[in-house]
Amino acid sequence: MAAAGALFDQVLNGLTIGMVYVLLAAGLSIVFGVMDVINFAHGEFFALGAYFALSVAIATGPGGFWVALLVAPLLVAVVGAGVERFTVRPLYGRNPLYHILLTFGLVLVIKDVVELVWGPQPYQFAKPPVLRGTVEILGYGYSVYSYFVVGVGLLIAVGTWLALTRTKYGLIIRAGSMDRGMVRNLGIDVDRYYTLVFAFGALLAAVGGVVIAGRQSVSPGMGDSVIIPAFIIVVLGGLGSFRGAVVGGLAVGVVQTLVRSYVPVLEGLVVFLLMIVVLLVRPQGLFGNPEWAGADEGGDLLTVSGGGVFDSTLRRRAGAALVAAFAVVPLLVGLPSYYVNTLAVSIFVWALFALSLDLVMGYAGLVSLGHVLFYGVGAYATVLVVVNLVPSLWVALAVAIAVCTAVAWVVGHLSIRVSGVYFSMITLAFAELFHSAVYKFGWTGGSDGIFGGFDPTYGLVGGPAVRSIELVGDVELFYYVALAAAVGGYLLARRLIRAPFGSVLQAIRESEDRTAFVGYDVTAYKRRAFVVSGGLAGLAGGLSATLTGGVAPEFLAWILSGEVIVMTILGGMGTLYGPMLGAGVYLVVKDVLLSLTNAGSPLLVALGEFWQGALGLLFVAFVIFVPEGLVSLPETVASRIDRRSGGGETIAEDAEVSD
Amino acid sequence: MSDDDPPSDAARPADRASADVDPLLRLENLRAGYGETRVLDGVDMTVPRGEIVALVGRNGVGKTTTLRSIMGEVRPTDGRVTYAGEDVTTLGPVETVRRGIGFVPEERRVFPGLTVEENLTVGSYGGGDAANRRSIEDVFDAFENLDRRRDSRGTDLSGGEQQMLAVGRALVAGADLLLLDEPTEGLAPLIVERVADIVREANADGVTVLLVEQNVAAALDLADRVYVLDGGRIVYEGTPEELRADESVMDRYLGVGV
Amino acid sequence: MSTDDERTTDASTTNSTATDSTTDASTADSTTDASTTNSTTDVPTADSGTPDGRPDLGGDPVLRTEGLTRRFGELVAVDDVDLAVDRGEFRSVIGPNGAGKTTLFNLISGALSPSEGRVVLDGEDVTALSPHERVRRGIGRSFQITNVFGGLSVEENVRIAARSTVETDLSAWERYLRSTDAFDEVNERAAATLERVGLADRAEERAGALSYGDRRRLELGLVLATDPQVVLLDEPTAGMSREVTQSTIDLIDEVLADRTLLLIEHDIDLVMRVSDRITVLDRGSELVTGTPDAVAADPEVRKAYLGGVADE
Repeated sequence: MAAAGALFDQVLNGLTIGMVYVLLAAGLSIVFGVMDVINFAHGEFFALGAYFALSVAIATGPGGFWVALLVAPLLVAVVGAGVERFTVRPLYGRNPLYHILLTFGLVLVIKDVVELVWGPQPYQFAKPPVLRGTVEILGYGYSVYSYFVVGVGLLIAVGTWLALTRTKYGLIIRAGSMDRGMVRNLGIDVDRYYTLVFAFGALLAAVGGVVIAGRQSVSPGMGDSVIIPAFIIVVLGGLGSFRGAVVGGLAVGVVQTLVRSYVPVLEGLVVFLLMIVVLLVRPQGLFGNPEWAGADEGGDLLTVSGGGVFDSTLRRRAGAALVAAFAVVPLLVGLPSYYVNTLAVSIFVWALFALSLDLVMGYAGLVSLGHVLFYGVGAYATVLVVVNLVPSLWVALAVAIAVCTAVAWVVGHLSIRVSGVYFSMITLAFAELFHSAVYKFGWTGGSDGIFGGFDPTYGLVGGPAVRSIELVGDVELFYYVALAAAVGGYLLARRLIRAPFGSVLQAIRESEDRTAFVGYDVTAYKRRAFVVSGGLAGLAGGLSATLTGGVAPEFLAWILSGEVIVMTILGGMGTLYGPMLGAGVYLVVKDVLLSLTNAGSPLLVALGEFWQGALGLLFVAFVIFVPEGLVSLPETVASRIDRRSGGGETIAEDAEVSD
Repeated sequence: MSDDDPPSDAARPADRASADVDPLLRLENLRAGYGETRVLDGVDMTVPRGEIVALVGRNGVGKTTTLRSIMGEVRPTDGRVTYAGEDVTTLGPVETVRRGIGFVPEERRVFPGLTVEENLTVGSYGGGDAANRRSIEDVFDAFENLDRRRDSRGTDLSGGEQQMLAVGRALVAGADLLLLDEPTEGLAPLIVERVADIVREANADGVTVLLVEQNVAAALDLADRVYVLDGGRIVYEGTPEELRADESVMDRYLGVGV
Repeated sequence: MSTDDERTTDASTTNSTATDSTTDASTADSTTDASTTNSTTDVPTADSGTPDGRPDLGGDPVLRTEGLTRRFGELVAVDDVDLAVDRGEFRSVIGPNGAGKTTLFNLISGALSPSEGRVVLDGEDVTALSPHERVRRGIGRSFQITNVFGGLSVEENVRIAARSTVETDLSAWERYLRSTDAFDEVNERAAATLERVGLADRAEERAGALSYGDRRRLELGLVLATDPQVVLLDEPTAGMSREVTQSTIDLIDEVLADRTLLLIEHDIDLVMRVSDRITVLDRGSELVTGTPDAVAADPEVRKAYLGGVADE
């Protein structure tokens, strides 16, 4: 009896969390179904719901909770409508990847706005007295609030379902999610509904945020913590399927809770395992229908093809000059140690990481959202080797590369079978799986990671410690190790791209079918690219751990995957030097913004504190206006100027062509 | 065989018919394409009110592109589309439908996850010409097959049923002119007959029809007037009888003159 | 000397050597033929098209399908088709829309797997092989929609295709690190292919910037560069006017003269001159196979094409 009661308690807890997931996943799924938009900012709408509720409740005093429950979601819906209208809308017709990138930028912005307005500290949200306390059933006390959450969730889920199936808008939206073009062909302006759908999705997420606020604290990270499970649920249930979102949400909530109490080892892992298994067995998800994918209106990835800026000789000279400058300047000019040994080294490390991502994303067309997996595994492998095996940096880095290529081989084997968005999601799931796993084990240091006892040497088994050798003017020898790794990585990648291997990769990016029908095993080539890329990312991770002097679970956080994608796009994917440049620009801008916090002017300090949001805004602007990245900027500017001076001519030319 | 002279312009019965009809739809020198590829290279044709007009031709000569240009799914690079006296060349699909042009695209594009009734209901929200809008019950009366399968999903229908549904959906949305793209494709002969009946019935009810067909036999059976498209231009216009008699055209442009 | 005479020589060369060394034959052919390629549009004359230029059809089938069937749900798209295409033959597969032509091609090339039946190339059952493995064994295919690697140079397009024939022989060093410029043999073959399809002077251009007609040529070049025994051509003339269509078919006939060809067409009349034999498909089944004259005279064919009209 007691066991049954405890079980029921757990199930109720699971359903409570599950209902919140349903609210999140339903909006995410509908938005994807109708507009093909993968909205990473959905978690931030959830957080905004909670924060708005907080302010509304405080402003309205007693009974504020109920006002907040109504008003906050509507406010978030308005924010959602604005986001759709001004940022998402310009990108329709492009590859769904650009929406991922855009909304990732929005995550940074909204998160920082929240921190700016409400501060970094967590809040407790007072529940109304009616919802406090417990009800007793069969001698067991259950939280009233849990029933309340389940009830609200149920009400909204049923309401949404009725709206989707019984109302004119719902029917049109469902038809639109199956075949947008055909809806237009019936004289229905389906594009007008996009804002509505997006706002409605935001509203559902916000309701989730409000009700969760009564259960746990309200803090700036709350969006981050739910967005990944929400994605998993959407993919599990089938992208675009409302039913899938409901069943998936409840199932994940319950499974998560039960596993936490009965199989704690698997806590945090089971959901990712579940998703990986489902995707491998049934790639379209539980309730997804592959035939409903609809007419593909997605465009190509915008890579910089051909030469890009300047001619190749000039570019080679500029590159050589840059490397020479990096090599010599620190020795001649007495720069502060921080700039040389920390900032410059992290630029090299991230340049290498971005380069590795570019190999799969810019060349093979595989959008990996979980590339941090290799970076993190490389970091852990390096640290573990130095701490447990031999203190040699060289051995450790070699092991890191080896382990990462092996992991990449396995992950590649499993995930390259699914394509497009599903590939992105399954790589994300693998990364999160490893991220959760390192918390579990003693030998990975759990949530603290491994710091101390980490002192790699340059020798094979002993010798001077890496960070201890200083050359002229405080420049550590490690600076040159990192520089050599970045330059070496670039030269290797360039070799690969110019060899038959790279040539085939580019062919795959252009047309998979055609590549198969001139006689290449497309899957094998993608896997090889993934393995090479994994190795390079592992090297970057190893160097990064050496720079940091240890490793922690943050090395595997998904936000780093986002950052490296930002760098790659910022620079210009599909060129090897673009992403490396992007890494440099990103880190320098970030550093400048951060340094503003020490500035005299309060405005600059505020901007410095808002560094993430500022970077996010910059990135959003790039995705919308300069999707081919920095390296395309000179050309774009040139053509703009060209057009302005000779606009009339171009039009005349067009007219002639159509004759 | 193919070495016969191409039909000279004098032999074309073109303007004879066009002069005394009331043109519902008129295409003038229509040019369109995709990216760098030009598909339509100056199409001129007229669809008189109340008639069934067929547009035939080899695979890929631009038949579907012609319909998509009329609908505004493809933006013509040159030329004009006039519907009921109004220039509709630059209108998008939504606006085109609102003027009273209904579209039944290739492969029908029935909403797969919606039931038959829901498919028609979406049609009834369509923005077609209200004056000529059929009710859902009208459609069920006309197609008893659909009536029986009201609650079946789009995916579960046979090809013929899907075709009926697609036509019904366009009629419910309100159409004075129906554009049909390959309505008989992939259908068994018996069903082809049934689809032909549907088109005739709609026509008898006052709907003008422009259909694109590769199945020349079916098209000739149905149509009052036939246009032959080749290389993005109209190369022949006439009645079905005239075309059947003109072996050189059948040969040269339709590849059926064995 | 007319093109036809040359073709006779080429074809017979291939016929005698095809089984052991197609590579050599094709290299030799490409150089021989190079001189004639640039004048493709005006080559055909009214009486040059008899299939005599091709080898005798001595019942040496290089490609066979046995009971090939493919169902999509209730629809039987390809229904128990037995084809036997002889070495060096120019076979056309025609039929009305929806007759199952493209599905048949997808089954032969490996893009689809059959519900029943087998595909046999040169005596080997290739039914279970993936598309790229079939290409390696000599089944090449062109695409209905011109499908070239638009972002790469014309030369690199053809080199990629040419390299696939030696890919398995490459050492890791060659495959991953050696510059694509250094594969002399492959690159010579690619250059010869470009010469043959008349794109030699466009080698440096970006493939995506080519005109529609030139992209067609490059598409053929991609097929040719993989050195196929059998080439599947899926409506290469789709979207072309009657005149351009004829010259394209002639280009194919010329460029791929020494290969076994399987061409999908919608239009009987077009393929009459160039085909050795024609197979007519109707609703997934093989209606008739025979010489152009025999097919043209067949009442069944007339009926399939004209439906009710033929009853008159």
